[in-house]
Amino acid sequence: MVSSNPTAAPEVRNLKRTVRNSPLRATALFWLAAVAAITLPWAGDAGPLNLLRAFWTFDPADYTSVLAHFSWAPRVTMAILVGAGLGLAGAVTQQILGNPLASPSTLGVAAGCQLGLTLATLYAPGLLAISADLPAVAGGLLAIGLVVALTGRLGFSPVSVILAGLVVTFSLGAVNMAFLLIRGEWLGNLFIWGAGSLVQNQWQGVADLWPRLLLLGGLMIALMRPLRLLQLGDTSARALGARVAGVRALALVLVVVLTATVVSRVGVIAFVGLAAPVLARLFGGRTLGQRLFWSPLLGGGLLLLADGLAQLATDLGPGSLVPAGTTMALIGGPVILLALHSLRNTRQLPGQPASPGGLSVRRRPTHWVVGGLALLLLGTVILAMALGPGLAGWHWTGPTDWPEAWHWRGPRLLAAALAGALLGLAGTLIQRMTGNPMASPEMLGISGGAALAMVIVVLLGVDIGRTTHLLVATAGAAGALTLLLTLARRHRFAGNQLLLGGLALYVFMDAGLRLVMTAGGVAASRLLSWMYGATWLVTATEALALLGLALAAAVALLAVLRPLALLPLGETTATALGLPVARARLGLLLLAALLTAAATVVVGPLSFVGLIAPHLARVLGQQTVGRQLLTAALAGAVLMALADYLSRTLMFPTQLPAGLLAALLGGGYFLWGLTRHGRA
Amino acid sequence: MCTDRSLAWPRPLAALMVTLIAALLAAPAGARAGERWPDGPRQWTHEAGTLTLSAPPTRIVALNWAATEALLLLGITPVGVADRDGYGTWVQAPGLPDAGVANVGSRSAPSLEAIAELKPDLIVTSAELAPAASQLAALAPTYVISLYTPGADPFERATRQLRTLADMTGRRARAERVLAELNATLDQERARLADAGLAGIPVALVNFLDTRHVRIYARNGLYQTVLDRLGLVNAWQAPGNFWGFSVTGLDALAATPDARLAVIAPTPPGLADSLAESPFWTYLPSVQKHRVYPVEATWPFGGVYPIQRLARALTDGLLAGGDDGVE
Repeated sequence: MVSSNPTAAPEVRNLKRTVRNSPLRATALFWLAAVAAITLPWAGDAGPLNLLRAFWTFDPADYTSVLAHFSWAPRVTMAILVGAGLGLAGAVTQQILGNPLASPSTLGVAAGCQLGLTLATLYAPGLLAISADLPAVAGGLLAIGLVVALTGRLGFSPVSVILAGLVVTFSLGAVNMAFLLIRGEWLGNLFIWGAGSLVQNQWQGVADLWPRLLLLGGLMIALMRPLRLLQLGDTSARALGARVAGVRALALVLVVVLTATVVSRVGVIAFVGLAAPVLARLFGGRTLGQRLFWSPLLGGGLLLLADGLAQLATDLGPGSLVPAGTTMALIGGPVILLALHSLRNTRQLPGQPASPGGLSVRRRPTHWVVGGLALLLLGTVILAMALGPGLAGWHWTGPTDWPEAWHWRGPRLLAAALAGALLGLAGTLIQRMTGNPMASPEMLGISGGAALAMVIVVLLGVDIGRTTHLLVATAGAAGALTLLLTLARRHRFAGNQLLLGGLALYVFMDAGLRLVMTAGGVAASRLLSWMYGATWLVTATEALALLGLALAAAVALLAVLRPLALLPLGETTATALGLPVARARLGLLLLAALLTAAATVVVGPLSFVGLIAPHLARVLGQQTVGRQLLTAALAGAVLMALADYLSRTLMFPTQLPAGLLAALLGGGYFLWGLTRHGRA
Repeated sequence: MCTDRSLAWPRPLAALMVTLIAALLAAPAGARAGERWPDGPRQWTHEAGTLTLSAPPTRIVALNWAATEALLLLGITPVGVADRDGYGTWVQAPGLPDAGVANVGSRSAPSLEAIAELKPDLIVTSAELAPAASQLAALAPTYVISLYTPGADPFERATRQLRTLADMTGRRARAERVLAELNATLDQERARLADAGLAGIPVALVNFLDTRHVRIYARNGLYQTVLDRLGLVNAWQAPGNFWGFSVTGLDALAATPDARLAVIAPTPPGLADSLAESPFWTYLPSVQKHRVYPVEATWPFGGVYPIQRLARALTDGLLAGGDDGVE
């Protein structure tokens, strides 16, 4: 890939050089802003000296002093510790996986911790009274245990670890979300935990955390030399005597334990682990040593700033808590955008293999695979129409009664299958275009835009009907697409920059979602169940409109087969072969965005099918563009159709969002396929 | 100060008793099926339009717990209820009969197929299910009423819901009896508090979510009616969210040093021990003054009945004297 912006104005280059030479200045700036933010609310009550004293002593007669010592000071300390810990973990994660989109939360750790806490809250509340760590760390270890067990045979190759991590995140997250939706009243604490709040009322948390962080951080730094070798790529590192798989596994376990330790205490605070190492790199951390040094410092400053702002927002706001997770997301979004402008060649990060290989699978005859999937789809449709539970138990509906049953079962089934197919296509397009196996339609920011619009509606407290609902989601998706195109034009619509842009949009949505989560209650449940695919709301008109769109998309796809096959060869080769690269990318992007938007508006933004279906196609041995597209579409359709059927029947009359079940089904199958077919 | 599980979590035995009594009360007031109104179909306007009924509805499906409660108060047993099992745990009273009421799914996503199978002649829901409005309307006449909407007084809405449902089912006298009893309880508890010299004191109504966060009920919530009618002052003056509460860190309690803390059950396990170890809590002015009061669980998003229950529980708690910790 050619440098993205060869004609950058000289002053921009000068600016970049200045910034690059001063990681110290940037870090100091964050810390200064952070200190200002955290001390501002106390300006009237306590002098700077008194505030400093609050870190070791207090005056029992003066409640302001008690408050400063037992609430403010531990909270400040906690923010720094957590930020530094996650920053370091993020730097190590990005190093071992060689991917700028990787962070501890992509390894499934947070999802595992959350599931552990959920199960403990529901079924063993006594355990929480003894130690909240125990179930959380156990859940985290379970998650990473799955990832390690699945990828061990592949030598912990970065691509397989990232994929397995994502799939485990989604699958465990789905189980957890199902609990939140069904038994939300019992889990008020989990909603807050998921939002990420740093509120403290004693020093216990800090006292528990710092020795563990010190130990784990020390071990990570001890791993620095072998980690540095990974930068050279697997083969060279091995030639120099590094035990690549062993080093990766060890570093992964350290990252997990550290993340689980942090997350079990304060909840899910994403983006620190992502933003801190990205910033460290941006401000001139070129060697691993520099990055490992600056990432924790930047992480601590970032989270302290975020928490200071959260506290200010809480004080100024209408009385409800603004969690640090929200402000961190709001800071993290711009940081990622900043990185988008500066990380020129993220595609070829050291250690990342040029092709998303890693999983080379035996090819299989296409007609068998496609035929099998089509049969499976037909079977699912018949099953969904004919066999279902009623209030009096399961019963069989004969074909003569189908017109009647269609009313309740048909539109949602059709919409789900079509949305699955569209997302499968969009996912394949995006993964092919960017050459990044982590890419998914969600990451384009289209679904993020739709979700952001819905989150804003919920935050405003407006109850809207279905039509407004669809319009709002469409407007959000369209807005996101416009923004994305503007951003992408500067990068000639290339690879990872697009994904980072989409991610930034997703981050803003996440910030709002955390606010909704903090309040909990029915509003949160409703929003979450929409986001994970409320197929029960689909009407017949919507389903038919989606059908029309899918047919149009199929025609359009025939035109893009050649560009799709050529683009991954690189810009130079593709141009040499006569492809107008920028225009081809724009066309593909628009197509993928349209497919995503249509599916999202109808079945919600967090479907996960777009990520998994292209991989299912490859696990099924379909590698070339056309075959992968066809297989991914069919696999997506089968997955969503089956998920919709199960969502309606599994816990009848309670409905689960279809996207949750798709995550479980697809994730389970993919993980199985990974162990069975994957080769290093 | 150990965690007493029977207090911390709802009591099945008590719920069963209430259920039995309610079932006995409900039995003689059976609905007059199929009897049309002599002067033709009648119309009601509601949030999402108008609804026309030609006869008093007898097969009613309630898609939230406030509606369920209103029907039960009127002596009507709904044929279907959303999240039936959760009702028994979180709302408790008035109790739902054990048999004859179908579960139609969750409150945020009820099963349309299950509702259709019940062949209802009235569906009671709120604007929260607005995205499904057309699908519900295709099943049966739908009465939409939301207790919590911006700018509305939840108690006034709950009263309106009770009276409208009574009007539809021909039980207006019964609704007025329920409301009279509620008013009598509120007056009586107010007098008890005044006699004890507790009129006009600030009270904070809190639910502990975990050991660090609480939900405090605000001025725009259903519980404000209880405080107003008992002659108490809400210590939490922030506006609250759309559902009438604020979620805050425990540190927010420090802002109201004179408040009595009414801690509404259930509390999370291990809370008492964790708080006892936290000097931040033990030095809290309200705790230092032994002004922490346990209050039994009520449903904060309900109709009129939780008001009556909370008024009793709160008065009993305040009169029984405070403590320096939670149970």
